[in-house]
Amino acid sequence: MRKVSLAITVLLFLAISVTLLGLVLYSPLPVLAASMANPEIQFAIVLSIVTGIASTVICIAVAIPVAYALVRYSFPGKRMATLVLTLPLTLPPLVAGIALLLFFGTTPWGKALESAGFAVIFTPLGIVVAQVFVNLPYMVRIMRSAFASINPRFEHVAKTLGCTESGAFFQVTLPMARHGLLAGTVVTWSKAMGEFGAVLMLAGATTMRTETLPIALYLNISTGDVDLAVAAATILILISLAALCCVEYLDRDVNVF
Amino acid sequence: MLSIESLSIRLGEFSVQDISLTIPDGEYFIIIGPTGAGKTVLLETIAGIHPPESGRILLDGKDITALEPRDRNIGMVYQDYMLFPHLTVAENIAFGLRQRRVLKREQEDAVREMGQLLGISHLLDRYPVTLSGGEQQRVALARAMVLKPRILLLDEPMSALDSRTRERISRELSDIRRATGTTIVQITHHFEEVHTLADRIAIMQDGTVVQVGEPSEVFLHPATTFAAEFLCIGNIIRGTSSRQGRLARIEAGGQVFYAASDITGSVVATLHPEDVIISLEPFVSSARNCLPGTVTEIVPVGSVVRIILDVGFPLTAILTRESCSDMMLTNAGRVYATFKASAVHVIPAAAQEPEDRD
Repeated sequence: MRKVSLAITVLLFLAISVTLLGLVLYSPLPVLAASMANPEIQFAIVLSIVTGIASTVICIAVAIPVAYALVRYSFPGKRMATLVLTLPLTLPPLVAGIALLLFFGTTPWGKALESAGFAVIFTPLGIVVAQVFVNLPYMVRIMRSAFASINPRFEHVAKTLGCTESGAFFQVTLPMARHGLLAGTVVTWSKAMGEFGAVLMLAGATTMRTETLPIALYLNISTGDVDLAVAAATILILISLAALCCVEYLDRDVNVF
Repeated sequence: MLSIESLSIRLGEFSVQDISLTIPDGEYFIIIGPTGAGKTVLLETIAGIHPPESGRILLDGKDITALEPRDRNIGMVYQDYMLFPHLTVAENIAFGLRQRRVLKREQEDAVREMGQLLGISHLLDRYPVTLSGGEQQRVALARAMVLKPRILLLDEPMSALDSRTRERISRELSDIRRATGTTIVQITHHFEEVHTLADRIAIMQDGTVVQVGEPSEVFLHPATTFAAEFLCIGNIIRGTSSRQGRLARIEAGGQVFYAASDITGSVVATLHPEDVIISLEPFVSSARNCLPGTVTEIVPVGSVVRIILDVGFPLTAILTRESCSDMMLTNAGRVYATFKASAVHVIPAAAQEPEDRD
């Protein structure tokens, strides 16, 4: 048993590293450098980073109060709320994307938003919306487990020491949850950078307009421009690797995926 | 003076029902009771963490029921100390001062002073995780005491400590209280603390206060069977009492003894093992009761020996090791147990009380 399981582990390790290394080493270095300098790839890098940061900030701002409410307060329909909030985790992103597309494209409130200047469909704003929708449940889950691990008595003590309710939260609970918050931020951001299905549906795949890194990968491989596709893929691999290292370093106890 | 008037609160499976207590200034008040009796909920409600369903809390005659915890000037120390792990010891102690926007210089002075008072000056720059249980305990006390609270609430603050540290901190707590005049309300499981620290105690059961009084009074005259059992009073004897002259004649296990009481009917009698004299021959004295019996068990406990007799019902007595060997007591040996009628305390056995000790 020991030999077999170890052998399979080694094989799996080799399979993953060989596959990914093969991708990274596919283009000779000068070609890779040239692809990176390509305006389309550069645009994709910048767009991915900007939308990724924007959606992550929104996710943090929303997930913190939601996760806190789910942990600390009881309210009617809490189980239902928890279920619905977690649903996008298991939902294929394409499905999330088409649901968003229908919501913003066909409903009166979607149209009202558009006429108010918040055009979502086939715009960079749509990228952010799609990323938030798909990633928010992750952030909520991570923050929920971070808050749940903090005994409410810390807040009780803080209140007897002179804190208001929000003072206790910001001075005690949130700093105590900082590992979870950091890990959640890194995961959310790296997932946002790689989000494809929902972004494709809602924001479309318009070259040099809604072209994030995964979209650039998709567009270039469809037109046979393998070098550019590989460049985009290489960056995405590096981002994933950096994010994983970050999370491992920040907190081994946070179960992210 | 802290007054609690018919306070009720329900919190999940814990509840407190219609509790009224008055605790004068400077008193050391201890609440004892089994797990789930609602002790912590009561303390947290006094601190203002939970709004009560009904009843009032008054501090010096002022109704503080609706006040926020921060406006009550009531300190709280939990069993697990709840030191903020992301702050150093000094920052933990200064936490409350910072909320009050005390000048930085004054904060530092106050922290140093508390550090000296509790002997933790050398720990001020460390983080709580690096401290031992006793050290954490002192930091938690310092953090609460630095605000000079009117009342200090202690939720089983010693239960996680070894007995020697517990004793030392108990003594220090006593000293601090004398020096500052702070009223202390404490929850505990440890009976030693009750005797050495408390001015008065309250026994809680299922969210209600069963008995309040000075420790010696409560130990001598427990109000209910539950109180007697919970206080581990050595002999708890169930029987039927009838009036005979100025005494109560109690029948239990086919045996008869007398108690100075006027309670009749179904009763529970309590008798401290210290009040039982053991002799090999019938002991002629002013003591009203002298029952023959056999030794069933001899249990050495430190410097004394616990003798368990069968006199028709089990009866426990305490002897010094010396007298035990002098009398050459052995298992199944015939002896006489003598005790005064006035040493027996009689409680009416309430019909609804569960007979779970038989």
